[in-house]
Amino acid sequence: MIRFLSAGMLTAIACLALLSGCKEGASASSSKAAAQPAVEKTASGIEMVSLPGGTFTMGTNEGNPDEGPAHKVTVSPFWIDKYEVTHDQFAKLQLPDPSHWQENLKTPVERVRWRDAKTYCNERSRAEGLTPCYNEKTTEWDCDYSANGYRLPTEAEWEYAARAGSDSLYTGGSPEALRQYAWFATNADQKTHPVGQKKPNAWGIYDMDGNVSEWCEDVYSATYYKQSPAVDPKGPPNPEKDVKRVMRGGNWSAPAEACRVTFRQGQRTGNTDACFATDFCGFRCVRRAPAQQVAQAQPAK
Amino acid sequence: MNIGPIPASLLLMFTSSKSHWLRRPGRSIGVAAIGMIAVALLCSAEVRAATQPTAEQKLKATPFKIAWEAYANGNSDIWIMNADGSGKVNLTQTPNINEHYPQISPDGTKIAFNVDAGEGRSAVRSLWIMDIDGTHRKKIADQAREPFWRPDGKVLGYLPQEYEKFAVIDYYTKGMMFYHLDTGKTEPHVNSANLRHLYHPRFSPNGKWIVSTVHGGMGFSHAILLIQSDGDKIINLKIPGCRPSISPDGQHIAWGSGDHEIDTAPIDTDSDNPSVGPWQMRIQDEKNKVYHIAWSPDGKFVSFSRGPDGEGDLQKKGTFQAACEIIGVYATDWNIFAVPADHPRVVNLETCGPADVEQLTKTGDSNKEPAWFIPAKQGKE
Repeated sequence: MIRFLSAGMLTAIACLALLSGCKEGASASSSKAAAQPAVEKTASGIEMVSLPGGTFTMGTNEGNPDEGPAHKVTVSPFWIDKYEVTHDQFAKLQLPDPSHWQENLKTPVERVRWRDAKTYCNERSRAEGLTPCYNEKTTEWDCDYSANGYRLPTEAEWEYAARAGSDSLYTGGSPEALRQYAWFATNADQKTHPVGQKKPNAWGIYDMDGNVSEWCEDVYSATYYKQSPAVDPKGPPNPEKDVKRVMRGGNWSAPAEACRVTFRQGQRTGNTDACFATDFCGFRCVRRAPAQQVAQAQPAK
Repeated sequence: MNIGPIPASLLLMFTSSKSHWLRRPGRSIGVAAIGMIAVALLCSAEVRAATQPTAEQKLKATPFKIAWEAYANGNSDIWIMNADGSGKVNLTQTPNINEHYPQISPDGTKIAFNVDAGEGRSAVRSLWIMDIDGTHRKKIADQAREPFWRPDGKVLGYLPQEYEKFAVIDYYTKGMMFYHLDTGKTEPHVNSANLRHLYHPRFSPNGKWIVSTVHGGMGFSHAILLIQSDGDKIINLKIPGCRPSISPDGQHIAWGSGDHEIDTAPIDTDSDNPSVGPWQMRIQDEKNKVYHIAWSPDGKFVSFSRGPDGEGDLQKKGTFQAACEIIGVYATDWNIFAVPADHPRVVNLETCGPADVEQLTKTGDSNKEPAWFIPAKQGKE
């Protein structure tokens, strides 16, 4: 009996130890979560993730030719939308919404021309009393990166945010894990879905790998990584009218391999197309981090 | 020179290597005779071509006029010209006001049009009417777009802007309104609450339908619709493209099936459930865009705008940046053209001759949105 009790007690102790271990694991996870970038709510109530800036390996030598060579890039601190821009946000700024699927106001806008996205950025800046980044009087709506308003991410900023500190080419570590993080061809049922329904990446940013692909600021060049600057690259200069611009991230119609964080595509802007119908083109905004945050980040560099 | 059609059998006779009988002895006289007949036929074809009227001559023989918008002397105005391109008159001549999108009343006495004022998102697009000579301008509504006349001329339809702030894009509309010219009152279409993102509406000649494009609205991705003019029936015509227009007899539809093509096809708008048949005439231009199709009052011609791709010219005061076919966007090197529409064929604008097409404007200063009409005097006859 004593032996039995002892065995039972031992089992109980073991269970407690296990539970304790679990708790420890949870607290480790919490402490990791606590180290996650802060989420800021902007004046118009939109959540943005404040990224500290840092150095990461951009691109890969194992993907398509335009994804290489893998190279070290440093980006300055910036804020990025936690979610892709949605219909209700477009409507709030009284912008024409060209999207295919508009039944649910929390699905991301799509069929957005590159300039439509920039218009949204400037309007959102004005609505919050910030200085717009885009000069609407220039043909290409030149970007003033020093302005405190909203803009599209550079390709480097986008990949930095998508990787979220990971070296893996896929959020979650593998193509098999992608279902948990992204709406893509395998699980999206040929349409967009409300933002934020899948798991976020390690930095708390949602839908980077699927739902809609996202416009970036950069001109697309398949060979850009061979000569891009190491700090805050902004893409090659604009060589001609109606060039392709970079679009990043998977989408509802993309196969898993097109959802890897390094996958690149160049997309025509659609600016001269009255009925632009590419219904996977969406976006999210970034803005430069406040000066104080930038100053704090300097020693880390 | 266009020699006109040569009978296929005749061509085959002279080109086929298997025409052994031509090489048989004793047939030389016969061959010579046939050759002479052929030469005579070819000559007669050339004579026919020489005597065949050009599109310009055909247009000149009509009583019709065309209104359109053009950007000249620093602003956009509404002009009218004869159907052959002669006799151009600037009707508005308003240096600080930009007029667009003329639509002529069925009796040829009034013009409805849009006016753009201001810049950026604070700009205002308003709806006006004036007499056909440019006098008696009257504002109908602010934030109102793309007017279209009911065939009886008593009602002017238009599309209210979706939100108060301005956007140049053409589908930025919500609802549909009818302005009654006799009472000055405006009422919504019975299904107005469910109409969103329509653009380029036109009544069918029987007044039964309104044909329009929709983009990202009403549950449609993009479609050309027939909207019941006094009810809530909506029919998706399931044809690709935009900016449809019904022929004056109600039996054909013309529309831009792509940036570089305009198609016409049969449709029966008297039916309760019209559908579009196979295309009959196709106007195409691989290099330039072709847009803004409009039927002549007798249905024998179509006019359209044509020019290179572009997204405006912000140096042009009072204009906006978007695809250059959109109202309010300056279209560099765009002109108005007309094509006889009286038989099925393909008109390749890069290769066709003067019998097939006539260029009505030459300035290239954003000549767009042609609208035919019968001058009031002739119209009353």
